[in-house]
Formats: sequence, structure tokens, C-alpha cells
Amino acid sequence: MAAYDTMSKPDTRKQGAAGGWLAGAIRRNGAGYLFLAPWLIGFFCLTLGPALASLYLSFTNFDLLSAPEFIGAQNYVRMVTADPRFIASIRVTLVYVALSVPLKLAFALAVAMVLNRGMRGLPFYRAIFYLPSLLGTSVAIAVLWRQLFAADGLVNSLLAQIGIEGPSWISNPNYSLYTLVVLSVWQFGSPMIIFLAGLRQIPTDMYEAASLDGASPTRQFLRITLPLLSPVIFFNFVIQTIEAFKAFTPAFVISGGSGGPINSTLFYTLYLYQEAFSYFRMGYASALAWVLVVIIAIFTAFSFLTTKYWVHYDD
Amino acid sequence: MTDTVHDMPGRRSAYPRLTGGLRHAVLIAISFVMVYPILWMVSGSLRPASELFGGDAGLIPSQVTVQAYRDGWFGLQVNFGRFFVNSLIISVLATVGNVIAASLVAFAFARLRFYGQKFWFALMLGTLMLPYHVTLIPQYVLFRELGWVNTWWPLILPKYFAVDAFFIFLMVQFFRAIPRELDEAARMDGCSAWRIYRKIILPLSMPVLATAAIFSFIWTWEDFFGPLIYISEMSQYTVQLGLRSFIDSSGTSSWNALFAMSVLSLVPIFLIFLFFQRLLIEGIATTGMKR
Repeated sequence: MAAYDTMSKPDTRKQGAAGGWLAGAIRRNGAGYLFLAPWLIGFFCLTLGPALASLYLSFTNFDLLSAPEFIGAQNYVRMVTADPRFIASIRVTLVYVALSVPLKLAFALAVAMVLNRGMRGLPFYRAIFYLPSLLGTSVAIAVLWRQLFAADGLVNSLLAQIGIEGPSWISNPNYSLYTLVVLSVWQFGSPMIIFLAGLRQIPTDMYEAASLDGASPTRQFLRITLPLLSPVIFFNFVIQTIEAFKAFTPAFVISGGSGGPINSTLFYTLYLYQEAFSYFRMGYASALAWVLVVIIAIFTAFSFLTTKYWVHYDD
Repeated sequence: MTDTVHDMPGRRSAYPRLTGGLRHAVLIAISFVMVYPILWMVSGSLRPASELFGGDAGLIPSQVTVQAYRDGWFGLQVNFGRFFVNSLIISVLATVGNVIAASLVAFAFARLRFYGQKFWFALMLGTLMLPYHVTLIPQYVLFRELGWVNTWWPLILPKYFAVDAFFIFLMVQFFRAIPRELDEAARMDGCSAWRIYRKIILPLSMPVLATAAIFSFIWTWEDFFGPLIYISEMSQYTVQLGLRSFIDSSGTSSWNALFAMSVLSLVPIFLIFLFFQRLLIEGIATTGMKR
């Protein structure tokens, strides 16, 4: 703290006395860089350095015990030509993203519209709907989900009451992934809150004018709500998709860390974890991490490219 | 199909199809479905072990007992009290680090001027999008070289270097909205940057500091991946790891004890939610980030 005080008191120093541009530069920039220091250290030592290191490791064979052995692009080649579990994990993750994100956002938007415009009890409903998002990724919720969809769980005992004998959702590879999709949709609360904030920005008189002109609610939704909300929809879409690509805990807990049954819940991150920390193929896992970055980057870039067709800014 | 619904005086509902009563009915039904699984878990945790949960989708146990809590608490070689203390220490230290580091850095970005500011800010925003998997393995190697595997350092120390750009971004947004005249007046009076940070910005920023602290605490508390890779000795476990090994050791035989410990693990988050939900909701609405 003493350092901050001495370094960042430009006005107490004799200006120009120290001479030279260096003193001037320190006087003008010293305080800024001192406050920035924690992040700068973190950025170089814990983000940029490790990221570059993992890029290098992705071209090596590295088991943590002996030094990394450079093998060129073999890790990447193996991924696409000789690794059925990689293909399985890509497939599982894409299905999960493609189902959970649109469903979650549709649900979030629908509920936000029902909640819109300062209705009575709004804080209560909003809190209830938000709660699952907050508890979201804890192990306890994954435990709960396992029991909900177990062979003798809540879902099946409800189904039994209407005479349906449900399967064992979790241990059936045809259904296990969908239980995770349901879990994700259940956590629609945080995009809903963002939608609510966005809806509040739309002037009420636009709807009033539209009503007077005889526009049906559907038309109002398509012509007013969707266009004016499109930046928020876009934002939620990108954030939720990236989060969905990174999902880990539910699949880990529900499958006991295996990604089973028959790789049906082998999320990409779970596969990466197994390669790194169960089999200690650190080089291969680094390559997997970089492929994830590329996938997310391509997705984000592609999303931004499409914005000019459907996202309206400042209309 | 009437358009005469007024939710508030002078305001007209944009979506007149759902009239007041019906709207509440729909919302209550959704709320019920949303919360039911959690209530079912709480109810399950209060049932005797003999009462199998299959066949009973109801919420009322035939007999209420806290036996499951006793069984769960002492269910592993190390009792859950230890895990709670561990999680609490880690979460508090991580939260302190996050708030201090992020507020310092956000102050630099929002209130100071220095060469390269825009460049660093853009880089900082860039790291928001970067999946942590990219840094995972070299970080693991680094902490392993330092002899920190099986300690809490890898879970705590990075927070003191503001590695989670979300918190910086959150605070920059808030700091920028504080009138600049305050800084300028203080600067005229010969205040250093440090004093402006301490005496002007921080006191005016309590809401955003609290929001950051709450999110930071909850995310550290719920973090599973970090402890999973760094901590292997049971006496060092967090609550989330404790739950996980409880699943492995007990199978489905003592599901009610598992439920009991799951419920307990959610209690701190639930309490925070109860007292600070406004801050949480505003935090999400303003930055629009994450969960």
C-alpha cells in the first residue's frame, strides 16, 4: 500500500525536475499500471503463458512424468481419424447445445413475456424462476436429477399414476442425454432476467399504437417484440451456447464420471477431463482444448456474421 | 381476447391474451413444477431410510426423522462438518481476492488514464470468451511444480490476480457511472489515485462490490471442477467433492442420506439468495452474464 501512495502522487513531485521522458511517462502512467498490476500478472502467468504452453503441448506427447515429446500434428490427426470417443463426444455435445439452448431461450422468453410490465407478484415469480439457475451447477442438483430420472424416481412414479411404465432414463443411452437437456432448460432463469430487462426497454406506446391499428398480438410479437429484442436474444444466444459447450458437472455426476451409458453423456469437457486426468494424456488433452477454442470461435464469428440479417440495432 | 387489462394504473398490457387471473394461474403452475423437485429432495431427506422413494411422488413423509442427516454427516471417514469448514474458508478467501483484485483493476480501466489502456481492456474482454480448458493443463503443471497439488492454493490464489474478467467487467460498468467531477475535485485537492480509489470510489460502489462478492462466493462454493482436479486427500475436500464421494461410496442404498447432505450443501446458497436476491438479479440484468 505504501507503494501505491508514493508512486501515485504525481502532484507532490516537482514537475519536470526529474527531467526526461521516462520520469514523465512514469508520472503519467505509473498509477494506472500499479492498479492494473494484479491483472497483468494474472494475465501473463495464468492466462496467456499457459494458453501458449498448451498450444505447444498440443503438438506433443506428454504424460506429466517425462518431458513432452514433440510429435507434430499427430494428436490432431488421431482425433479425426482414429478416435471414436472424440467423435462421440462431439456428437453428444452438439446435440446437447442444439437442443438445450433454443429450448431454454424459448422458455425464458415466453415466461419473461408473461411476466412483463410490472404485474403484481413479479418479484416473487422472478425469484422462484431464478432459483434453479443459481443452484444450477452444484453437485447436489445433479444428485437430485439422478434420482428424479432413476428407474424408481419421481418422474416414473408420476408416470405410473397415469398408467405409464417409464424407462430407466438415466441408464438408458436413448434417454440419458435428454435428462441433461431438461436440466439445462430448468435453469432458464438467468436468460429470463436478461429478457425482462430487455423487454422493459421497449416503449409501451408502440404496442398501443399497434393495437389501435388493429394489429393482432401475434403480429405485435413478430413486428415489435422480436425485432426490438433481437440484440438481447443474440446476446443470450451467444452466452448460453458458450456455456453449454463448457457444461461439465451434471454429466460427470449423473454418469459417475464415465460419460456413459455407451458414451451417451460424454460431454466434450468430460472427455477432455478423462484424457487429461484419468489417462494422463496431457498433450492430447491440450489438443482437445484448442479444438474447443476453435469450435467456440467459429461459432461466435459465424453468429456475429449472421447478425446483419436478423439483429436490429438502434432502429 | 380483451385489451382492457391494466396491470398498473395507466399502463396497458402488451399481451392482452392472458388476463390477470389466468396469467397468475399459469405462473403458479410453472413455479410449482420448477420448485417441486427441490421440495421433493428436502422431503426425501426427512424420510426414514426404509421408506423407498419409488412409488411416493408426494411431499409428505409418513414419518419425519433427521436420521438421514446424522447418517450422512458421519457417512464418510471424514465428517461433513470438515467439508463445510473447508468450503467456507476457500470461498471466503477467494471472494476477498476477487473483490480486491477486480476493484483495483476496474478502477484503473474506468477512472485512470494510461498508455495502452484500450489495448489491455480489449484483451481483458477477450479473456471473457476464452474457455478455461485452454489454460487448464499448463496451470496444473505449474501448480504441481510449486508443490500445490492437494492444497487449496490453486483454488484461491488465482482470484487475487483477477483472472475472472467477469468481475472486472461488472465493476468497470459501475465505476464509469460515478460522476467524474468527484475524482477531479479530489485530484485538485492533491489526492493520490489510491486515495480516490479508497475514499471516493469504493464507498460509492458498495452495491457492485456486494454483487461481486455474492457471485464470487456462490461460484466458488459450487465449483466442482477445480477441487476435483487439485484435491485428492479427503481431509481437504470441499462440500461438492464430499457429495461426490458419498455417491460413490454409498450407491443408491442410502439415498436419503445423500439427499440430506445435498440439501445442506445448498443451504448457504439458498440463504444468500433469500437475503440478496435483488443484488443478484440486478447484477445479471446489468451485465447479462453467466448463470
